[in-house]
Amino acid sequence: MFRHIFIYRLKVLMKNKSMLFWTLIFPIALATFFKLSLGGLVEQGTFRAINVVVVEQVRQDGFMDIMESLSTGDEPLFNMTVLDMDAAEARLEDEEVAAIITVNETIGMTVNQSGFGQSIVKSFLDQYNNTADAVSTILAINPSAHESIANDLRSRVTYTMEEPITDSKMDITLNYFYALIAMASLYGGFFGVEEVNNIQANLSVHAARVNVAPVHKLKAFLYSTSASFLIQYSEMLVFLAYLRYILNVDFGDRFGLILVTTFVGSLVGLSLGAFVSALLKSNEDVKTGILIGMTMTGAFLAGMMFGDMKYIVQTKFPIVAILNPVNLLSDAYYSLYFYDDYVRYSQNIVILLIFSFVFCAATYMIIRRRKYASL
Amino acid sequence: MVVKVNNLVKRYGDLLALDHLNLEVRSGEIFGLLGPNGSGKTTAINCILSLLKYDKGDISVFGKPMTPDAYDIKKDIGVVMQEVAVFNELTVYENIDYFCGLYVSDKAKRRALVDEAIDFVGLNDFRKFRPKKLSGGLLRRLNIACGIAHKPKLIILDEPTVAVDPQSRNKILEGIVDLNKLGATVIYTSHYMEEVEQICSRIMIIDKGKVIASGTKDELKSMITLGEKITLDVFNINEAQIEGLRQLRNITSVEYSGGILEIRSLKGKNNLERVLEYVKSEGISFGKIYSEMPTLNDVFLEITGKELRD
Repeated sequence: MFRHIFIYRLKVLMKNKSMLFWTLIFPIALATFFKLSLGGLVEQGTFRAINVVVVEQVRQDGFMDIMESLSTGDEPLFNMTVLDMDAAEARLEDEEVAAIITVNETIGMTVNQSGFGQSIVKSFLDQYNNTADAVSTILAINPSAHESIANDLRSRVTYTMEEPITDSKMDITLNYFYALIAMASLYGGFFGVEEVNNIQANLSVHAARVNVAPVHKLKAFLYSTSASFLIQYSEMLVFLAYLRYILNVDFGDRFGLILVTTFVGSLVGLSLGAFVSALLKSNEDVKTGILIGMTMTGAFLAGMMFGDMKYIVQTKFPIVAILNPVNLLSDAYYSLYFYDDYVRYSQNIVILLIFSFVFCAATYMIIRRRKYASL
Repeated sequence: MVVKVNNLVKRYGDLLALDHLNLEVRSGEIFGLLGPNGSGKTTAINCILSLLKYDKGDISVFGKPMTPDAYDIKKDIGVVMQEVAVFNELTVYENIDYFCGLYVSDKAKRRALVDEAIDFVGLNDFRKFRPKKLSGGLLRRLNIACGIAHKPKLIILDEPTVAVDPQSRNKILEGIVDLNKLGATVIYTSHYMEEVEQICSRIMIIDKGKVIASGTKDELKSMITLGEKITLDVFNINEAQIEGLRQLRNITSVEYSGGILEIRSLKGKNNLERVLEYVKSEGISFGKIYSEMPTLNDVFLEITGKELRD
């Protein structure tokens, strides 16, 4: 009986174009759109040398040497040009440079707007001026300290230590794609909706036909749902392959766990759909609408439409973040990519499995009844 | 007894859908359950099939209590629901094979049964068609094939001819009679009295969840006083002449409207002859004249005071 129901269910589902569109084609189209529109965001996340103009009104070889060294190399901090004041002001006016650095007795700067680049320039100049002042004061008191100051400056000690939490490269676009995968996983709920409709005699005439047949209702449901799960999981693998190999979305190198996460995601999606369908005695369109609404709200709160939302929810309303399966799932992918340990990943997966268990148990409690008050 | 229903009561909130319904279906008969829409036919069927909870009563099928997990009973029942229940993604053959497979696991046996069912409902030319490409009538036939392919001993058909063209309707009705001849007991629900009259060996008329009459069609007709209905196309008749007709022996009512004179009489001999003599003697000119025996609608009308299709 398993084989019979399973094979026919596969046939029915694979020919259901509407279902295939929403669970496979739509996420692929959305991912492609994301890739096209998020390209600029990747550029934004990359540090570029800050354009500055230096106007040397008083000769200061020491400062100019430092500026020179900060403007060369593989990852220069500044892109420096030396000009006179008029030309420098014209450049600043045209917003070709972030700041004018004026070299006089002291080092000053002129900006016409505030921003990331200007802050870095200011921070650098503050540090330089403070150090120069300190050196002048010490030399005025103790001219023989010249050599020891030079040694101290060469061997500056930092009292904080950088401890990298990952070997992975930071990519602010990844969370958008991970949230999209989570959304696609929860779209597997459409299969759940259909499966429950096809087994509850009070929801469809197909189900009534199965209920009058000499087949155990819950077994038939399980056989049929297995086919749905196989299709949903396969679609998710196709989607992941598209993201990885066509759109070059990075998932890190823990491939086995990516598959496990996708498996859990499909399970949560399917069980959520089944639960919604079992709970509501409305038609399939209404149930699908509710499921889409829930999924899209979850995706929004997980940062699929607005990246900072995930952070806002996590800091202001942490309980919402924990109760949002889209967030948990996208965070599981992100944890796998970003963190070397498994603490955060495991937490996400365990909560998702609890969700799935609750949805399955509630669905079972509702659909186990064998007679209905009305059809 | 194939089906026995005892004192069945089913309520939907305040609405009493089945009011102490008693019903017996004997082996080998085509049992008709006749009643207007909303009379409780489908509710009764769903209770018999153990799909619906009921408030009171006992139901047994093949002599055993019917329960949702009575699989040994269910395997011998075939159901054709009022609504078409097929998968649009599967072909005609696949649909029948799928539903037959819920009853018969042996593949070779099932193949033979499915072929036989396709042949039986005349869908041989449409085996690879998807349901969406079938006409309403052919779709109904597919629906029937899905319900009967496993050769059940008891077939329950719930209004299988709703919205079906006359040609397909005849084909379906002939098919039901053939299934019965092959040994199946049939329960057939309908609000079309002509169909029930045509194929059923015993009929139960229900209204508002209550049995109002049951028996063979002759037994049902003998329960009412109406013997004959005489209809004449009359061009001109006055009130005095109509009153004269009313005074004739056995005549119970005379109505004239739109050139049609409808006369109802009690059972008895020579009713038509007496009417004709009166019409001739009064010089009333008339066109067509015909006499009808009472129908099940007349039975329903006389017992409930309303038409079956109201």
